[in-house]
Amino acid sequence: MSRIPLTSIEQQPEPVRQWMARRGNLNVFRLLANAPHVFPGWTQMVDELFDSPTFSRRMREVVILRVAHLQNSRYELGQHIAIARGGLTDQQISAIVETEDFDAAGFSPTECTALDVTTELCTTHRLRDDTFAAAQAVFGDEALTELLMIISCYYGLALVLNAVDLDVDAQARFRPRGGAQ
Amino acid sequence: MTRIAYREPEAMTQQARELTNARGNLNVYRALGNAEKVFTGWMVAGNAALTSPVLPVRLRELVVLRTAYLMDSPYELGQHRDVARTAGVGSDEISAILSESDWKEGSFNPTERTVLQLATELLTTSSVEAETFDSVHTALGSEATVELLMVISRYAGLALMLNALDVDLDESARLPIPPRREPS
Repeated sequence: MSRIPLTSIEQQPEPVRQWMARRGNLNVFRLLANAPHVFPGWTQMVDELFDSPTFSRRMREVVILRVAHLQNSRYELGQHIAIARGGLTDQQISAIVETEDFDAAGFSPTECTALDVTTELCTTHRLRDDTFAAAQAVFGDEALTELLMIISCYYGLALVLNAVDLDVDAQARFRPRGGAQ
Repeated sequence: MTRIAYREPEAMTQQARELTNARGNLNVYRALGNAEKVFTGWMVAGNAALTSPVLPVRLRELVVLRTAYLMDSPYELGQHRDVARTAGVGSDEISAILSESDWKEGSFNPTERTVLQLATELLTTSSVEAETFDSVHTALGSEATVELLMVISRYAGLALMLNALDVDLDESARLPIPPRREPS
């Protein structure tokens, strides 16, 4: 049961209502909208992360699911397992959030590199030289930094969600393709 | 030594360049500026957090320092020691926050102490005891509690990026604290 009351969508200013209509009328947004001085800036950040063509939707979901699992975020898992089913097999999802047997699940080498970076960073808070070098060789500076932005966003968000003990939405799902354009 | 080349402000879009320059053109921004498709949104979100009138700057900086310490981020510690001093945090208080438990005994008021307790639980266990959460929520109200959690969220995530890229602390440049917006 959420430890902070959720705002009502009807009482949001028009731009926030429109944003939620695009991205989903989710509990997480109704929670964060309690902080109207910072919520609109946060939504712009989320839009850029999901509208960017740098990574495939599948790659983003691989990373987000891994962060959600390592941060033990019931809410992120609840949302993103459902979203990931559109592009990942059950075996792949279970490898990310349960068995960790990435080799048997048929991930691409690039996905495996992203999973290695995510796991090491979330569990040790840093990257060894060889892990960093391998990731830089695969992704280059721009995509590697953007990968870190995705990890950073979901690692931090998990803390908010866990602290508040936010309930997973019964039906509503986040829309990764809910960009304005 | 920073593991990637810096993106200089001249090579950024106008909005990203303006935000970077307004925040002191720090190494952190020139490193993250490499992610040019998402950097502007990240900067806009940060600006909103830094200019919001909701959390007292002193309380915010206590939490940033505690987060930097628990996430083991030398860069955040290097920058925010000085920001915290400017926000009225004493040297003894900074030492207490940057220790395992001295902050429980220090000169902090009850609200500050319960906020530090929440940050500590959250960053070491990924969750918060109901009692701790309730005391923060009662002291701050819903809006400031959500902002507080967003501050922890942002600086915890940023610590991962800074550590991953091993960003060097700026020699002398420090984050200028922008004026706060008027309460709405």
